[in-house]
Formats: sequence, structure tokens, C-alpha cells
Amino acid sequence: MLQVQNLCKEFDGIKAVDDLSFTIDENSIVALVGPNGSGKTTVFNIISGFLGADKGIVVLDGKDISSMSPFKIARQGIGRTFQNIRLFPQISVLDNVMLGLKYKTGDRFSSALFQSKRMKKEEVENTRKAEDLLKFAGLSEKRNALAENLSHGQRKLLELARILALEPKIFLLDEPIAGLFPETKRTMFGLIRKLKESGKTILFIEHDLHSVMDIAEKIIVLDHGKKIAEGAPEEIIKNKEVLKAYLGKKSL
Amino acid sequence: MEYLIHILIVAGIYTILTLSLNLIVGYTGLAALGHIAFACIGAYASSLLALNFGISPWIGIIVGAILASILGAIVAYPSLKLKGDYLALATFGLGVIVYSIAKNWVGLTRGPMGLPGIPSFSIFGYQISNVWSYLILVLIFVFITYQAIRNITNSPFGRILKGIREDEIASQAMGKNVNKYKLIVFIIGAFFAGIAGSLYAHYISFIDPSSFTVMESITVLLMVVFGGMGSLKGSFVGAFLLVILPELLRFLGMPSSVAAPLRQMIYGLLLVILMIWRPQGLMGKYKFK
Amino acid sequence: MLKHLIINGILSGNIYALLAIGFTIIYRTVKYFHFAHGVVYAAGAYLAYTLFILLNINPFISFFLSIIIAAILGVAIDRFVYFPLRKHKTSSLVFLLASFGVFIILQNLLQLIFGAQILTLRTGPVKEGHHFLGAVITDNQILIIVSSLVLFFLCWLFIQKTKFGKAIRAVSDDPIGARVVGINSEKIIMIAFAIGSALAGAAGILISLETNIEPTMGMNAILKGIIASIIGGIGSIPGALFGGLFLGLAENLGIWKIQAVWKDTIAFIILIVFLLLRPSGIIGVKTEKEKI
Repeated sequence: MLQVQNLCKEFDGIKAVDDLSFTIDENSIVALVGPNGSGKTTVFNIISGFLGADKGIVVLDGKDISSMSPFKIARQGIGRTFQNIRLFPQISVLDNVMLGLKYKTGDRFSSALFQSKRMKKEEVENTRKAEDLLKFAGLSEKRNALAENLSHGQRKLLELARILALEPKIFLLDEPIAGLFPETKRTMFGLIRKLKESGKTILFIEHDLHSVMDIAEKIIVLDHGKKIAEGAPEEIIKNKEVLKAYLGKKSL
Repeated sequence: MEYLIHILIVAGIYTILTLSLNLIVGYTGLAALGHIAFACIGAYASSLLALNFGISPWIGIIVGAILASILGAIVAYPSLKLKGDYLALATFGLGVIVYSIAKNWVGLTRGPMGLPGIPSFSIFGYQISNVWSYLILVLIFVFITYQAIRNITNSPFGRILKGIREDEIASQAMGKNVNKYKLIVFIIGAFFAGIAGSLYAHYISFIDPSSFTVMESITVLLMVVFGGMGSLKGSFVGAFLLVILPELLRFLGMPSSVAAPLRQMIYGLLLVILMIWRPQGLMGKYKFK
Repeated sequence: MLKHLIINGILSGNIYALLAIGFTIIYRTVKYFHFAHGVVYAAGAYLAYTLFILLNINPFISFFLSIIIAAILGVAIDRFVYFPLRKHKTSSLVFLLASFGVFIILQNLLQLIFGAQILTLRTGPVKEGHHFLGAVITDNQILIIVSSLVLFFLCWLFIQKTKFGKAIRAVSDDPIGARVVGINSEKIIMIAFAIGSALAGAAGILISLETNIEPTMGMNAILKGIIASIIGGIGSIPGALFGGLFLGLAENLGIWKIQAVWKDTIAFIILIVFLLLRPSGIIGVKTEKEKI
């Protein structure tokens, strides 16, 4: 469903992404793994359109999306979260989720100015959808709280709920379990599994190789912007290159 | 008593300016510093149309507002590429450019000599010349502006504006065409500011560039911040309080050579105090972070 | 005529450069726009007027004292207004607005004290100028140019050769690393404000030898200073020098064929062009991009 071909990106002479190619099959759970600084978030930024690649292309369902602006790529069906969690801090939890939902004509300027009946109807429907999503994420009680007042774990869940609202074809999750307590980590992985069961595709970034062993169907390992391994978890854990990359750094 | 009505009229005009700027700065989070330039365009356009071509102010005010919104579209462009203080600088610069055109293109605007004798509005042949009727006229426009902006902000469209203010990148990741929204708010904000400018021109019946300096832009911004960003009721409060305040100084019997700089000093002090202690202003829900 | 425009361009350029360099030294350490720099410039001129013209103190002592007081004023602004803001995590826009506020307060204070009328540091009749390469240049103008050059050189010495100058560069390039090696960034900020404000005060005094002193002189000056900094590349001190001279010449050459009143408009158009097309300036400094 998603293909990345010969992607290259340089910053100040340093190759952040070095001739990277991989494929993500539909309805799979894939982990993009590697030590800090290996280029994982840069790859996400390129796929989601926030950064332009120097070379190479990104293909979604056969369509070349390399030069599309980020909002268009989001509409094509790629939904992403951010490493540093980008919520809308000074608005409510409910509104945060509402901003992920689509409107047919309700979010137009003219609908707003004239307060059209259509707008009001869609608003009611979307509010219901948002409430359902909050319930799914366990955040119903916090619906009126400002997003900036949530705990770290709650913020992660809110980010997930918001991206669910977008109803994307493929989820790009940047470090979805970072900083979470073990129990919340399990909840998050449980939600990811449920997503796969409902037919979705998930690509997520994680720097700790061990955490992804149980959940990922395929693991892609990056080091210094290059792909050094790709395969099922059992193969990856035995791969000498992977061990070298990790033992050479302080993580693991 | 008539003087009091005059104050209310001026406060009403500033309220329109404050509401329109609040849409851009308070709801969408764009640091726009040259807002009075839109009023300048509206004022000069409808005045010149009335003086040179005898066109009715009712038409002039709309033409002026449309021309102002064209400038608004132009000003929107820097907002697509610049953030925060750089955008503030760019919009400030555009404000200065409009002011200097008004001052130096003497062939068009008569420069510092200004345009005297601007006719007022008329209904069915009667000129609206007494303060009471003008007050009603201004209040009607204030009401229209308030309703329009309230509708705009109280809607899914308005929610998207707030999202842009909070985080542009996340907004894009949610599939929102951020550039389109920025363009629209500048056009609408400029439109209403243009209306305010025309109302002012046809009321005072004389305009010159000194009414449209960058200091005026900062004053309107102060009204938005003081009243509270993202709060429409706050815009009423901010505008009224900051119009009434200098009048109180006059009550204290100060000569204008003292009252004028003193008034500015209080504005400056208020700005500093707000930034340090209460960036959300009196009734605002949003802080400049 | 053209030659006069060039001389005026060099004169303005020197003043803009002095302002831009001071502004940039401050920007490098605090990373926000100290707009009130402009009113420190005006204060320098008014202080010189008070000491030299009103109190009849020896010009050298007057000017020297004025520069010192201007430096103190700059530091005071930082301590009373910016320091409290630095304690919370505030955006550079908030600093800019607070700085506007300070500017407005102090500019109007000057107007309250001295009135709105035009003052000058010139005493005695205007002396005839010297002929030089087909143009006329007065003693005052020579003094301004020479003084600016001396100040530029002193600045360069300070930034490149002294321990404080190195510390300023360290703090601006890597604030955390600087702290690790024991550099007290608050002290460095204070020094940056002192030096920058001294330059601003000096610029205010120099320009007043040639033109008029009035309360609003700071506004135009700081705007030109900021434009010059951006042209040269915000944060770059040699860029500020270059930007100032470039702006002075561009403004004056720009009005060679059109009316002089459009001088400011030209400056602002240059600003907008640079902001939109080349925000990193001519030298091309790294502008901080938002991390996604």
C-alpha cells in the first residue's frame, strides 16, 4: 500500500536518509526501529509531506505523493502522530478530536457565516462521533478539559483518538509508547491490534527493539539513515548488523 | 451630552476594528500589526469616491471595504511564510508603506493636507448629520460585525481557526488547508476594518494620514490583547475602556501637550503589564505563548 | 547631486550600522527583537543635549556620560522588563510586544520632559564644508564617519578578542554548553545590553550633530536598524555592518530619480523582500526552523 523508493535527504552535509526503500503491505503492523538519530522521524516527515526529499519518491496505493502538501497527503489517507505530541493545547479535549473529523460542507466559511442548517446537523453528528472516540480512548470524563492539562499518558491517548477521527488508510505513529507506564503501553498496543483487526495498516516508530517483538509483523531497522535489516522479528533479533548498530550505541 | 455620544461613536468604530483584528490575531493566532492600513484604504476610498465622483457613501463604504480586503489578501501572503515576530515585523512594515503612500502620493490623497468636506450618509435625501442618528448608524454596523464574526468563530470553521492558532503543523496533519484559512481571515478582517475606516471618514468629514499611523495599529492590537484574545465580548470591553481612558485625562484638565503623550504612556505601560502578568487580557481564553 | 546622495548614504549607513550592530549583539544573546533599542538611541541624543547644551558641560565629558547612561538604560530595560519574561517560557513575539510597550513609554516620557519641538546639538554657525572628489563634505560629517569607524573597530576588538566577546558568541551558539563551561548567561546578557545600548546612544549623539533631535526619532531609527540587521543576516555582526551601509546607500540612491519622501517606503519594501525571499540575509545565517 505504501512504498518508499530510494529516498535521500541531507542536512548540512549529513545524510539523514540514505537511499532508503521499503514497502508496507496493506493491513500489516510494521515497526520502524533504530537508535536515536537514525532518521526515523525524518522518514515520517517525508512520507507525510512535511519535508521534501532530495531524491526518491513516496507512493501511496499506486499514486506518487512525493510533492503533495501535507494537508493533501493527510486527506489521501495518511494519518500521523508526532514524536513530541502535537495537540491543540488551549482548546478542549473534545474539540481536539472534532478537529480530526471530516465535514462535507459544514466547515466551509459560508456555512459558518450563515449558520446553515447543514452545518448544525453535521456538527451534531460529529460531536456524537467524537464522543464515541473519547469513550474508546477512555477520555470521556476529560472531554471539557484543556488538552494542555492532561497527563502524558492521557495526551498520548488523545493523540490516538484524534488520528482515529481522521479515519486514515494507514497510521504513522511516532513513538506511540514513549514515556508510558507498562500498563498504558499494553493498552496502546492493544488498540493497535484492534486497528489491524478492523483492516487498518500501521507503521510505527520505536527506538527500543525489544518492545516491538510481540506486536510487529515486520521490522525495518535503520542506522544512520540506511536500512540495515528488514524482516520478521525472529530474523531481526539474530541479525549481526542490527546487534552491531545497537551495541555500538548506548541504547538497548 | 453630545460629547458623550461622540465618544460612543468613536468607541463603536474602534470596536469594529477590534473585533475584526481579534479574528485574525485572537482566534487564528496571526501576529498582524498593520491593521489600521485596512481602515486607511476604506476611509480614503469612500471619501475620494464621494468627493470626486459624488458617489453615495453607502456604495463607497462597500467599495472601500472590498478594496481593503484586497489588501488583506496581499497581507495574507507573508503570513503563509512568516511566523511570530517576523510576521509582526512584516505586517508592521506593510502598515508603514500604506501610511507613507497616503502621506506622499499627494496627487491622489492630498497628502498631509488631507481630505476635507467629506459628505455624510443620507437616507431618502436627508443627511445623517446629527450625532444621535450617526450613533444609531454606527451601532447597526457594530451589530452586523459582531454577528458576522460571532457566526464565523462559533462553527466548525472557527474551530479550525483555533486549531491553526494552537498548532499549524498538527492542523495540516489533520488535513486542513491552513493557507486557505489564513487568506480568508485576512480578507474578512480587512473588510470590516475598511468599513470602520469609512464610517470614521464620513463622520469626522475630514481625514488625513495622521489618523492611520502605526501607533494606531498598535492601539487596536492593545485593545484586542487587553480585552482578551479570542473573546468577542472582551473586544467590546477593550475598545470602550481604551477610548474612554484618554477622555478621563482630559476631564482632569490637562493640556493636550501633556495629555497626548500621557495617554500613549499609559497604553505602553498597559502593554508591558499585560505581557508580563496577564497576556490573556481581561476576558481572554488564549494567551500569546 | 549623485555624489551628495552617496555621502548621505554613507552617513546614514554608518548610523544604521551602529544601530544594527548593537541590536544584533543583543539579539545574539537573547534571541528576540529589542525594539526599545530605538528609544535608547533617542535617549542618548537627549542626554547629550541636556549635558552639553543645557548644562554647558564639556562636550567630550557630556557625550561620554551620555553613552554610559544609555548603556545603563538598556540594561535597566532588560532587568525590569525582559528578565521577568525570560523566567517563563515566552515566545519571541511576547518580548517584541513588551518591547514596543517600553518604547512607547520612554518615547512619550522624552516628549513630556523635552516637549515635541526640534532640538539640536549643533552650536554656532554652519561651517562651510571641504571639497572632496567633487562633492562637499562638512567637518561634522567627517567626524561622524570617523567616529563610527572607530566604534566599529572597537566593537570588532571586543567581540573577537576579549573573553566577554567570546562568551557572547558561545552563549548565542550554544546556551546550554556555555552554562556547562561556567559562563553565566545572565551576566553575558547584561554585558550585551550594555555594549549594544552604548552603541545606540553613540549613534543618537552622532546623528544629532548633523540633524535634528525630536522625540519620535527612535522609531524610524530602530526600524532601519532592524531592516539592516535582516538584510545582513539576523545574528551576524559583520552582516549588521554590511546591512547598515547597504541600506543607507540603497535608500539614498533609490531617491536619485524619485522624490525624497519615498525614502522610508523604499526601506520597507527592501525589508519585505528580504523577509519573504531571503530571511537568512545576504550572508545567509541559519534561521531556526521549527522542529517537526
